[in-house]
Amino acid sequence: MPPEPPPEDDRPNPWGNAAETQTAGPTAKRTVVPSESDSAPAAEQFNCPNCGGSIEIKAAGLSVSIACEYCGSTLDVTNPDVSIIQRYEGEVRKLELPLGSRGMLRGTEWEVIGYQRRSENGRYPWDEYLLFNPYAGYRFLDTDGRGWSFGEQLTASPDKQSLVGFTLNGEFFQPFYAQTRAQVDYVLGEFYWRVAVGEEVLTADFVRPGKMLSWEHSGNETVWSLSELLEPNEITDAFGIPPAKGGGLPLPHQPSPHRKKAGQFMKLALAVAFALIVITSLFGGTSDPQTAQINLSTNGVEQSAKVGPIILDRARQAVTVSARAPGIENSWIDLTYSLTNRDTGEVFEANNVVDAYSGRDAEGNWSEGSRYSSSKFSMIPSGTYELNVYAAGSRWTEGQYGSSSNAQLEVTIEKGATFYSNLFLALLFVFVPAIWQWWKHLSFESRRRSDSDFTGDDDD
Amino acid sequence: MSRGVFFFGMWCLLVTSSFAYASFTGYSPFADGQRASTARGPGGVFIGRGPRHK
Amino acid sequence: MIFRSPALPARICDYCQATVKRIADGVELAGEVAVLPFDVSPIQIGTRGEYGGKPFDVIGRIRLGYDQGAWNDWLCLFSDMTHGWLSESDGQFQMVIERPIAETNSDLIQHLAQGGDAAIGDRTIIDGSEFTVSDMRSAKCIAAEGELPFAPSTGWDVFNVDMRDEQGFSANFEREEGEDSGFYVGRYVTLAELKPHNLRAIHGWKMPDYAA
Repeated sequence: MPPEPPPEDDRPNPWGNAAETQTAGPTAKRTVVPSESDSAPAAEQFNCPNCGGSIEIKAAGLSVSIACEYCGSTLDVTNPDVSIIQRYEGEVRKLELPLGSRGMLRGTEWEVIGYQRRSENGRYPWDEYLLFNPYAGYRFLDTDGRGWSFGEQLTASPDKQSLVGFTLNGEFFQPFYAQTRAQVDYVLGEFYWRVAVGEEVLTADFVRPGKMLSWEHSGNETVWSLSELLEPNEITDAFGIPPAKGGGLPLPHQPSPHRKKAGQFMKLALAVAFALIVITSLFGGTSDPQTAQINLSTNGVEQSAKVGPIILDRARQAVTVSARAPGIENSWIDLTYSLTNRDTGEVFEANNVVDAYSGRDAEGNWSEGSRYSSSKFSMIPSGTYELNVYAAGSRWTEGQYGSSSNAQLEVTIEKGATFYSNLFLALLFVFVPAIWQWWKHLSFESRRRSDSDFTGDDDD
Repeated sequence: MSRGVFFFGMWCLLVTSSFAYASFTGYSPFADGQRASTARGPGGVFIGRGPRHK
Repeated sequence: MIFRSPALPARICDYCQATVKRIADGVELAGEVAVLPFDVSPIQIGTRGEYGGKPFDVIGRIRLGYDQGAWNDWLCLFSDMTHGWLSESDGQFQMVIERPIAETNSDLIQHLAQGGDAAIGDRTIIDGSEFTVSDMRSAKCIAAEGELPFAPSTGWDVFNVDMRDEQGFSANFEREEGEDSGFYVGRYVTLAELKPHNLRAIHGWKMPDYAA
């Protein structure tokens, strides 16, 4: 069967008209390059029928077309005589990874034998290199400038998971790029299929961290391949070329550099939160209450009471003084507490208030204030103490409702205190960095996914 | 373990031990009662009394 | 010349590339076969391996060419004197074993056997699994070497239909004019899992560790 003619194209291109050169053009004979050892030979050699340049076929018996590295013309190597498929008049490109380079990737040595530049109708171009090892077959290396991926064609197809993605060997791949047309823009070197510049296929890509599952379809044929993102040093260690410059958006299958850290930070933060709660329950809380009652008139006259003795035995501890006046209405009681050490005379003071106000306005009844309050003394040294309570009650006369004329005040002093404010502050200190790491991770993922066709956002 | 996680771990240790010390000694920056000589605290001077509601 | 397998009727004489058919008492020259084109296949006559727990020897090969290139079918003789074909195409290997067409439930295969057509994407059930036609080729035998179960001359045409399922199992159907159709079932294999020995040493390439 004659080879298929290249696709019609009215763009001016440096690739000459194939029809002219197919049947009547010059051909070249191939010779096996003799082996220098007692192993079998590894390559065949011929001179390009177009430019005469010396070319070696590395994947002899497998390669079907070769684009001459000197003149760029595509040649047919399926027959014993090499013939020209398409002449090329443009400039032959210099490759980032030169043909013939050999390097060790993931435990196997590979030789670069072919190169394609592909794009989506000229936009978003990427480079594909074909690697070969006679014992291992073919692999490919893809790059778009942001990173290198190492992949192979699959022999088994992945399982479709109800429109949302595919599973391969138990790993799930999210859709990233929807079906798009990809075209071949430029070729160099050997291929095991008939490459043709301008040839189009449909592609779609699915990703998981570090891996990309790609689907390609043309005419009747569907091909699945799986590629893995290489670390920057892997490509340098293998082929000696500088790593990809990176920049721009993360690659579709780029794993988030923050995920692991964010996870570890969160775990630590949660462990600390648990520890803090345990500490609070161990050392928090109050005990040994002592109470005094004061009967007041809400006339502004100060009355006092004493509570004590209170014996504090720890070197330092908190003390809670709480006040309650359940019956007041539209009045307040100013409170001053004086905690005095009987032996040293040291005095600790605090002020507080209990109040209650109510009234009526256009929206209905309102009420304000608290008939209960507590004051917490911090780091009181050990010793024997007595608490002096000074209370003065007053009325609020501007309300619609009446105010109480007297009040029954109950003051309680307890050893210890539960500082929820401390707990809150400590949790804040610990969770803010963890949340910050998590936010960095989410922000990375958001940037990575922004290029996907499946974000669900409105795009242009 | 990365450097960042190590430093965060040290930070967590600092926060936890400070918190334990504060819980044990009853310290809090939000406490109401202080020594009378430097008496200030949030329970300071209240100007006027009455509801804030109109 | 020595026939290695008592069951095979033909052996390609290494010396003169003429196929020699084994007839009961003597041998008869059957025709010239084209010289094998150079390739860098890691498999060679004499390679040993293991498939399905059974050891095998590679004893023959045919090379088939079509419009998109060519592939090798290596004849593997198992220790129990059965045989299978190791098909090598584009660096991928499948080991397939012949099945009688009469025993297949697949309508597609029966249809093809009767001279019918198929299309890429057609599905059928083989051994309880769904297979899809992935490739169809009209090919020509362009070269042969070693021992083979038929007397090939070059130039015979075969219509080949490739099918695969989702787990890596494969099936082939072959139709040749004037001959019985063939149906083969097997799966894709990697060279490493065949535990090969005596692979061809290729200059400049290190023999893999699994084949040492």
